[in-house]
Amino acid sequence: MSQNAASTTTGDEATTASDTMVKVRDLKTYYDTGGLLSDRPVKAVDGVSFDIKRGETLGLVGESGCGKTTLGRTLIQLEEATDGEVLFDGTDITELRGDQLYEWRRNAQMVFQDPDSSLNDRMTIGEIIREPLDVHDWKTPADRRKRVKSLLDEVGLSPEHYYRYPHQFSGGQRQRIGIARTLALNPEFIVLDEPVSALDVSVQAEIINLLEELQDEFDLTYLFIAHDLSVVRHICDRVAVMYLGNIMEIGPTEELFTDPANPYTHALLSAIPKPDPTASRDRITLHGTPPNPRYPPTGCPFSTRCPVRIRPDEYEGLDDEIWTGINGLREIIRERMRADRSIRERVRERFGLETRFATIDETYDELFGGLAVPDDVERVLSEVTDAAGAHEEREALDRLNAEFGSVCDGVGPDGDGDPVEPEYYEVSDSGRLSYCHRHADEHRETAAVLDDRS
Amino acid sequence: MSTRQRDSTDGLEEPDDDKLLRDRVRENPRPAMVWLAGLAFLLLLEIGRVFAGVGQAFGIVGFTVELLAGIPTSVGDNVAGTLGSAAGFVATAITAVLMAFAVTVPVSASVPDAAVDILGLDLSRRGHRWAKRAELTFVVVAAAGLVAYTPVGGAFSALIGAITGGVDALASSLPSITSRELIPNAGHRLPEGGWEGTFLGLSPAAAWAIRTGLVFAYATTVLVWLWRGFDVYRTHYRLADWTPRDDTVRRFRNNYWGLFGFAIVFLFVVMALWAPAVSPVEAQHNIYEPNSHEFQYLDENGEVTSTTHVFANLDSRSDGQNTIGPMSYDDYNRWAPLGTTNRGQDMMTHLSYGARTSLVIGITAIGLGALIAVVLSLLSSYYKGITDIVTVMASDTIQAVPALLLIMLVSVVFQEANHPIAQPLDGGLLLALIFAFAYWPGMWRSIRGPSLQVSEQEWVDAAKSYGQTPLQTMRKHMAPYIAGYILIYGSLLIGGVIISTAALTFLGLGINPPTPEWGRLIDGGQSYVSTSSWHVATIPGIAIVLVVVAFNALGDAIRDAIDPEADVDESEAAATGGGA
Repeated sequence: MSQNAASTTTGDEATTASDTMVKVRDLKTYYDTGGLLSDRPVKAVDGVSFDIKRGETLGLVGESGCGKTTLGRTLIQLEEATDGEVLFDGTDITELRGDQLYEWRRNAQMVFQDPDSSLNDRMTIGEIIREPLDVHDWKTPADRRKRVKSLLDEVGLSPEHYYRYPHQFSGGQRQRIGIARTLALNPEFIVLDEPVSALDVSVQAEIINLLEELQDEFDLTYLFIAHDLSVVRHICDRVAVMYLGNIMEIGPTEELFTDPANPYTHALLSAIPKPDPTASRDRITLHGTPPNPRYPPTGCPFSTRCPVRIRPDEYEGLDDEIWTGINGLREIIRERMRADRSIRERVRERFGLETRFATIDETYDELFGGLAVPDDVERVLSEVTDAAGAHEEREALDRLNAEFGSVCDGVGPDGDGDPVEPEYYEVSDSGRLSYCHRHADEHRETAAVLDDRS
Repeated sequence: MSTRQRDSTDGLEEPDDDKLLRDRVRENPRPAMVWLAGLAFLLLLEIGRVFAGVGQAFGIVGFTVELLAGIPTSVGDNVAGTLGSAAGFVATAITAVLMAFAVTVPVSASVPDAAVDILGLDLSRRGHRWAKRAELTFVVVAAAGLVAYTPVGGAFSALIGAITGGVDALASSLPSITSRELIPNAGHRLPEGGWEGTFLGLSPAAAWAIRTGLVFAYATTVLVWLWRGFDVYRTHYRLADWTPRDDTVRRFRNNYWGLFGFAIVFLFVVMALWAPAVSPVEAQHNIYEPNSHEFQYLDENGEVTSTTHVFANLDSRSDGQNTIGPMSYDDYNRWAPLGTTNRGQDMMTHLSYGARTSLVIGITAIGLGALIAVVLSLLSSYYKGITDIVTVMASDTIQAVPALLLIMLVSVVFQEANHPIAQPLDGGLLLALIFAFAYWPGMWRSIRGPSLQVSEQEWVDAAKSYGQTPLQTMRKHMAPYIAGYILIYGSLLIGGVIISTAALTFLGLGINPPTPEWGRLIDGGQSYVSTSSWHVATIPGIAIVLVVVAFNALGDAIRDAIDPEADVDESEAAATGGGA
């Protein structure tokens, strides 16, 4: 495995330019920007870069709320990008307005997740599938009617369904109708937003097969958004793993599934139930929940839950449970820093009454209660809790980072300056990229550390 | 496209799939001809009334156009008063252009693109749309300018006058089968018995019953014939053998509560439309100008004498002491099928013309209010953000003022100023406009939730993803979901408007005499409810209750009928019912 740091924007541009259809560069989509009430936007997609080659299926996986649907919607301009560019055959579609956008929309369509909500119940199937053609003034009305009937045939429904209503169909059939509508304008690129997650398992397979057939027949390029990893493994040529608005790892499907490089990919894949009871590696349990995308952690987005966080050399030997406690403490202090205390809380505190904020000492007891904390660690921790108890959360956090922080928390080698973020490292000959400090030469690889720590 | 697709299209080829309705009628003209002949015959029977209706429609259009045409100059005059005449002229021009533009926006979609192509410009799709609107605006403004500022205007109004005059002349000269001239019921007894001046010498009661029966028979025939027209179209000329409209109709036909509502509303509307025919005496004689119209009757001395309606009405009052009850004659040989009012006027005449008043006010107020509410709710739920906030503030401001108080204040202000809007129907139109203004926030609030909900549906996103215009998205993908809500709410409110109008008139504020209004009847009869003149307040009271309930039932039934999902429940219920 080569460990050469490769910058995404330069390395692959020359080689893939010929057959690249969609080129995404440093794309950011934020919600609630410039609102009256808050100046902290929700960073749903926070700077992603990748390419989609003509005719391939790129899978996009990640847990709920990681921003994969937002990314898909931004690619077909249903959401406005905050920053960055999406080059579609060389044209930056985030800059398109008015007529150009209208013309471009023919090329990129979307299949929606919920077949109940994606079809207008008051229109007949014929009207629904015809509408894109009407909008783009495609040939004559008679031609449109014929086209709709042939599309119905194409997706495995019959032309008599033209005058039926959506509610007369099952979920799988409705999804077929949605697919027919998507195909009406002969798009080249289709975003499939969890197209089968709302369907029965038996129907899922039919829809997946239909999508594959259509891809062969019409030379379609898919972005397949899903959280069902086995489906992704079946249909996708390449997979991108997303976490908290960032792509953690992207590469060929089989390789990524058999030999994951990024710690998050490890964790995600370990969640797939294995039919083999003698499987060797244990499941990796992630602590806590994903951070709030309004307040993402500094440094690596996965640093708050990473099982293979890089630790300062002097504390490398520290017990894992103590590390869990230290991470927990950091999260709680970050949380306390954000929470505004109401006047009522302040008054209650003044009079020594119980407040919503548990005292930091209780938290400390809960985290480190039964553990044998070494003296030097305990000394630092008590300084930290004292500062936090006096509502000096910033100071407490600085102290904690200075002692236990690493490059994963954005702490650079010299200890100050701008937060350091990981880079994309090329982790295999196929050009697979992973977003993790572990791939740098000075650190040990993920798999080895996982074995050690488990 | 692939060959496979072409193959499948060939298999589906339907030979007459894209023929126009005109061609299809030409191929098989018989059913259409029969139906059209029937319709023509029906219209011919009432040709006099048809022209009278056309004349009335002209009057309404003329009044509206005049009112709107007055807006630019009145705005200009107001500005001129403060800023000088030049500014006034500019203000007039700007207002006129803005109004013309507002007219073109909804119309421009139906104007052919060729209108813009003759300009020879290379325009984008959006540019094309705006160019078309600008062009239409120019045409409208130019036409209006010609009429307003050049001699063409004189010729134009002369032409309009000639047309309306012609229509009115035709209306009074052409016959109709329900006319008072053909079946007269006003006459007097003869000293030797029998009647003079009535239809075939029958009693006025019988003549009136025949005429009224004929009205309802005729209206029902027209309704049935229209239904048959739909049937003819469906069996002979429609391409699809089934469309959703069929289900809508079927669902409505099976809804008995809705049919009851429809029947009452139908009666109410027919009574309003044929008010001159169903009233036993002419409203002009009995209500509006009782001084100037004489009639003959057989007095107690056995002589045929002549008197005016004023004196006759004075003696025919139903005021507790003296009662002309339902189904009776007064002392002047006048037939009063529903008795007389406390002022001696004929109740049936009053009720039928009052139905006209109520119908006009209700439909104008709810139509206008619902239009405002729907447009604003679509805009605010599609664009959200600032549009939504502005609408919320506007509606909250209006709703912060108690509705009845607002209505009273505004109506008094306009009536005191003797504003031209306060003239039609003795304040009825003014009341309708005020109701529309006061009630749209309520309607908007009630459909705001549903419209926000539907704007979040994925099919709205889907429409956006293939480039559907916002206007079309709102019309096709959002408005149908709101239609059900606005129908039911509008039909509830139309009852409310009828009641409020009656209530205001009851208080002496709404519609001034002589325009007949049900509320005034109730007001007049309220103190006699426990006397022998109980009918004065009771009959219009019952009529109001029936009409309001019927409108609600009808609204309910229409909502159920246009909702395709209502069917599922129904059939499920039927299935379980059958199984049990």
